[in-house]
Amino acid sequence: MTDVPPGYHGRYLRVELSTRRASDVPIPPDVLRRFIGGSGLGTWILLQETPDGIDPYAESAPLLFVFSPLVGSPLTTSAKFVVLAKSPLTERINDSLSSSHFAIAGKKTGYDAIVVVGIADEPTCLVIDENGVRYESAGEAWGLSSAAATEVLKRQLGAGFRYAAIGPAGENLVRYATISHDGRHAGRGGMGAVMGSKRLKAVAVRGEATVSYHDANGLVEYSKRLSHESFGPATAKYRELGTAANLLAFNRLAVLPTRNFQSSTFAGAAQLAPEALAVTHEKTRASCAACTIGCEHIYQLGGQQTGVRMEYENLFALGPLCGIAVPDVVLAASQLCDELGLDTISAGASIAFAMECADRGYLAAPELRFGNGDVVLRTLQQIGHREELGDLLAEGTRIAAGQIGYDAADFAPHVKGLEIPGYEPRALQAMALGFAVGTRGADHNRSGAYEVDFSEEYDRLNAGEEIVGPAIEKEDRAALMDSLILCKFLRGVLTDYYEDMAEMLQLVAGFDVTAAELQQTAKRIVTAKKWYNIRQGWTPEEDTLPKRFLTDRLPDDSGPSAGAVLSAERLQALIEAYNVARGWEPTGFVPDRSLREFHLG
Amino acid sequence: MAKRFVPSSIPMPIQVELFGIPRQRAGASEVELDAQDLGTLLVKLGDRFPQLEHVCVEGGRLKQGYLANLNGRQFVSDPETILSNGDAVLILSADAGG
Repeated sequence: MTDVPPGYHGRYLRVELSTRRASDVPIPPDVLRRFIGGSGLGTWILLQETPDGIDPYAESAPLLFVFSPLVGSPLTTSAKFVVLAKSPLTERINDSLSSSHFAIAGKKTGYDAIVVVGIADEPTCLVIDENGVRYESAGEAWGLSSAAATEVLKRQLGAGFRYAAIGPAGENLVRYATISHDGRHAGRGGMGAVMGSKRLKAVAVRGEATVSYHDANGLVEYSKRLSHESFGPATAKYRELGTAANLLAFNRLAVLPTRNFQSSTFAGAAQLAPEALAVTHEKTRASCAACTIGCEHIYQLGGQQTGVRMEYENLFALGPLCGIAVPDVVLAASQLCDELGLDTISAGASIAFAMECADRGYLAAPELRFGNGDVVLRTLQQIGHREELGDLLAEGTRIAAGQIGYDAADFAPHVKGLEIPGYEPRALQAMALGFAVGTRGADHNRSGAYEVDFSEEYDRLNAGEEIVGPAIEKEDRAALMDSLILCKFLRGVLTDYYEDMAEMLQLVAGFDVTAAELQQTAKRIVTAKKWYNIRQGWTPEEDTLPKRFLTDRLPDDSGPSAGAVLSAERLQALIEAYNVARGWEPTGFVPDRSLREFHLG
Repeated sequence: MAKRFVPSSIPMPIQVELFGIPRQRAGASEVELDAQDLGTLLVKLGDRFPQLEHVCVEGGRLKQGYLANLNGRQFVSDPETILSNGDAVLILSADAGG
């Protein structure tokens, strides 16, 4: 394969678990340039590999682990990988990123991606190393947390492997189960459930395959400069406080979702904030492999040897959203989610939703009340093992609302089935648009439109069509970063997004790309995701927010966001403007000319 | 942001609330300063907390990576932004990703 660009292997591994067959599939060089890697390349592979309208748990449904040209390079934060599949939670495309050594070892197997189809006949660990592919029994690891299962498999397989594994939630097909590697998670959209449906407990990777770089010396110099700049003020928040630093600021701005999005301020926020936790709890910091930022803040939970990683999203979802103001409950709940393999956002939102249902008398669960920490911990266990009420909540809020009935669907906090992260849409209305049109549902990692809300040019409480262009720009940038792949916490370090990324791709892969070409690449990737969804049955009605956000004003005691609401008519106008600006039909369908333009037909 | 003439002799107590890195660096969550416009306020903030100077503020402006918000409602950056008695100015880290 002499025409494989530097930085790539030019092929993916296709593993059929049912028949235990594996094959190499070449990736055309022009595809690599057009979709780059990570989320973009994964979307292209999904489009090739996924039958239209497929059940996410079907035998032929593919599960992808995708690397990128930057993985293994000296570029800081580049040790990342993406897991993609049709989500059992949303029935739409899902791409969840995770990071660290699995990415590096995975790429060293000699593939740009690993595609798994089929269903194993017993709990299995898929092993890919310098000797090829083999299938090891994971019987002893089944039922264990991903961390404990990894330890069992390490003893079984010997040294040198890196693992991505599921916990009990994935085995039990909780629709928002995660895939974990070394305490980091491909968290959103239930990729762990897809893996569990294949009886695949873990993927173990080890290898010695390397790639060349187009300009190795230039790449080293560029990487040194980028690493140096990454120590600067643009990343200080992540280094010193972590993402949890959002909590107090969001509370003050009254954009902190509280008690299942019934309000946007939380009286107990100060107790949960990282500034307070750092006083009351011992704390250490950690980094992903090949990262100079080090955003992970790990708090010690009383009497335990292992710490708990605390991020804004698990803090918000298991704290204010459930009315919990006790730090140790939130830490314990976060730890439990890690052990069970649960997405903290969807888990917290599902419990908060159930609490409101119980408040209204829709669920006969007298103890299920906002602020009851014991109930949160018990319910998480039930969700992970699909026991009692947990069996219903394991379905996510969209399906649970349908089964509960009444008007529960009006306040089930999701878009396309994916629970809404910690950004109140009525008070962050550019973000509301980003949530509504997001191809994987309500998602702050695919749409960074909150940055539009947090700017002085736009009114976050009265968004008009002027926010559409900037919101698209944020989404495009995220699509590109997720395809190179680089950590988004690096974005403040880049002086010119597209120029910087073009230079990195030139150094690594030798692509003579321009900033303008990369802008088109980003649009192509976003459109490809939309095209995937259309092929899986997407309808325009999905691009919306739950009724609560379109009819119920934020309470009068919501400080600077008091009274905020986004009417259905205004949201619809924003969505149509977004679709037209994307070059799609006003309804959101992708016209033939766009498919041709982006080579997606 | 509307601007208006304010005689310089009138005291104008402004509550400055610090979040994230500005709070870490200053070692304080809030401070009251007397200023009639944002630029003056930021100069006085740097005087009050020298550890913020050249990190968060410089020459009456915020450094890149930081934001100012008026009363939790409007993000502002123009040093000539007029402040009113009782206003609260929030100083935040710009990056809100989680």
